[in-house]
Amino acid sequence: MSILETKKLTKRFDGVVAINGLSIGIEAETITGIVGPNGSGKTTLINVLSGMLPFENGSVRVNNAENLRVIRPRNIPLYGITRTFQNIRLFEQMTVLDNIMVVLTKRNVFSALFERHTAYRLKQAEDVLRAVNLWEKRNDLAINLSYGQRKLLEIARALAMQSDIFLLDEPFAGLFPEMVKTVSGIIKDLKDHRKTVVLIEHNMNLIRELCDHVIVMDGGVLLSQGVPERVLAEKKVIEAYLGK
Amino acid sequence: MDIIPQIIANSIIAGSVYTLIAVSFNLIYGATKFFNITHGVMTAIGAYAVFFFGKQMGLSVWVAVLIGVLIAGMIGWLLDRFIYRPLREKKASQLALLVASLGAFTVLQALIAIIFTSRFQTLTHGVGVQKTFEIAGGIITQTQVLIVIAALVVTAGLMFFLKCTRFGKAVRAVSDDNEVSKIIGINTDRIIGIIFFIGSAIAGLAGILVGFDTAIEPTMGLVLLLKGVIAAIVGGIGSIYGGAIGALLLGFVENFGIIKIASEWKDAIAFGLLILFLIFRPRGIVRT
Repeated sequence: MSILETKKLTKRFDGVVAINGLSIGIEAETITGIVGPNGSGKTTLINVLSGMLPFENGSVRVNNAENLRVIRPRNIPLYGITRTFQNIRLFEQMTVLDNIMVVLTKRNVFSALFERHTAYRLKQAEDVLRAVNLWEKRNDLAINLSYGQRKLLEIARALAMQSDIFLLDEPFAGLFPEMVKTVSGIIKDLKDHRKTVVLIEHNMNLIRELCDHVIVMDGGVLLSQGVPERVLAEKKVIEAYLGK
Repeated sequence: MDIIPQIIANSIIAGSVYTLIAVSFNLIYGATKFFNITHGVMTAIGAYAVFFFGKQMGLSVWVAVLIGVLIAGMIGWLLDRFIYRPLREKKASQLALLVASLGAFTVLQALIAIIFTSRFQTLTHGVGVQKTFEIAGGIITQTQVLIVIAALVVTAGLMFFLKCTRFGKAVRAVSDDNEVSKIIGINTDRIIGIIFFIGSAIAGLAGILVGFDTAIEPTMGLVLLLKGVIAAIVGGIGSIYGGAIGALLLGFVENFGIIKIASEWKDAIAFGLLILFLIFRPRGIVRT
C-alpha cells in the first residue's frame, strides 16, 4: 500500500522543467531510495513533497487522504512527514539540546509557556541525542559542531518529530565511516519501528544495503524503479549515470 | 560645577530610551528580517493614547499607560496581520515590505496629526511637578529613573523570555530559519504576530516615557526610530543584548560628543558612529 503517492507531478523553474509528470508511489514501512544523476530532480521532489516548493501540475496523496494540489510547509507535520536537507539547516544560534527541545514544544502559545512535563520532554530529547551520539554535546551551540555532527543533529531533530514518513536528503554525504554506521543503524531502526523512509543517496552500496525499493530519476522523469539489485544493473540506469 | 556626572546621567537616560527602541526593533527584525519603519510611529501611538485617555479622558496615569502600551501592541499586530503577513505569503521582497511599512508609517503619523494636531503636547499636568534625585552629582527626574528601570527590565525580560521559555525557543527558531520552523510544526505566522505585538508595545512604552520626560508630537517616532535603528545596527542587528549595548554606546557617544560643540551636532555624531560601524564593523559589536 502506498503511503505517499504523486500523480503527474510537474515542477518548473521559469522555463526549466525540474519534474515532469512524475507518478510514483512509496510503500509504507519500507526504505525507498531515490537515485539519479545531478540535476535529475531528486531534491526538487523532496522539496515539493515537504511543501518548500510549490508545484504547478499534478497532485500528491499522503496516507490515503485526499489528493493535495497545494502543500503548505506548516501542514507537513500533520501529514506525518519530516525531512532533512542536503545542505544542513539547523537553528544555528541555539544549543544542540534546544534544537531538539524546540521540536518537542507544544504548539499552543500558553501551553508552550507554562507546560509541565519538562522531565518527560528532556528524556525524549536525551533519547534522540544519544541515538546520534550527541548527548555529550547538548550544551554546545549548533553552529560550533563539526559538519558530521551537524548532519547527525539534523537527523536527531527529524527523529524527535516522531513522524511516519522520513524524507532524508543525502544523509550520508560527508560523514566519516563511523557516522555512516550510526546513520545506517538509525535508518534500519526506523524501518523496524514501521516507519517509512525515502532516501536520496549517491552511494549505490548503501542503496543496495538499505533499500527495499529504488526509484531512478533522470531529467525530472521516472527512468526505472524496482528492487535495487535489478534496477541498478539496468543498462539505461548505468548510462544515465555514466553516459552512453 | 563638574558637568561630567550630569553628562553620564544624560548618556544613560538617552541610552535607555534607545535601548527600548533598539531591542524591540531587533526582536521584530530577528524574526522577519525586514526594516519595519512603522516601529517608529508606535512610539507616537503609545504616547498619544496616554494623552487621550490620561489627559483628555481623565483616567488615572497607570491605566492610561497600560491602555497606551496595549494599543501600540495591538496596532503592531494588526499591521502584521493585514499588511506584512499577506505580503510574506506572496513571497514579497524585503524592499516591498520596507515600502509597505513606510506607507503605513506615513498614514499612521498623518492620522495622529489629523486627530490631535501637530502641536507639541505634554503628558504631565504642569511644569516642575516631577521629583528629582541627585545621584553622584547628576540630577535625574523620576520619569528618567523609570526610563532606566524600564530599559533594564525590558531587556532582561526579553532575554529571559527568549532563552528560558519554550515559546522563546520557538521565537529563536523562527528568527534562525523561518522555513524549517514551519516544517517542524511551528506556527510561524502566529509567532511573528505575537512578536509584533510585544515589540510594538515596547516601542509604545518608550514613546510614553519620552512623552512624560519631554513632550510629544506626531513626528516624534521618526527621530526615535532612527536612533533606535542606529543603536540596533551598532550593537548587532537582530540581537537583543546587542541592541542594548549599541543603545548605551550611542547614548554616551552622543552626549560626550557635544561637550565642546553645539548640541545640534548630536544627530550628526549618531550617524557618524553608524557610518564608522558600517565601514569597520558592519555586523555590530556582538557580530550577528
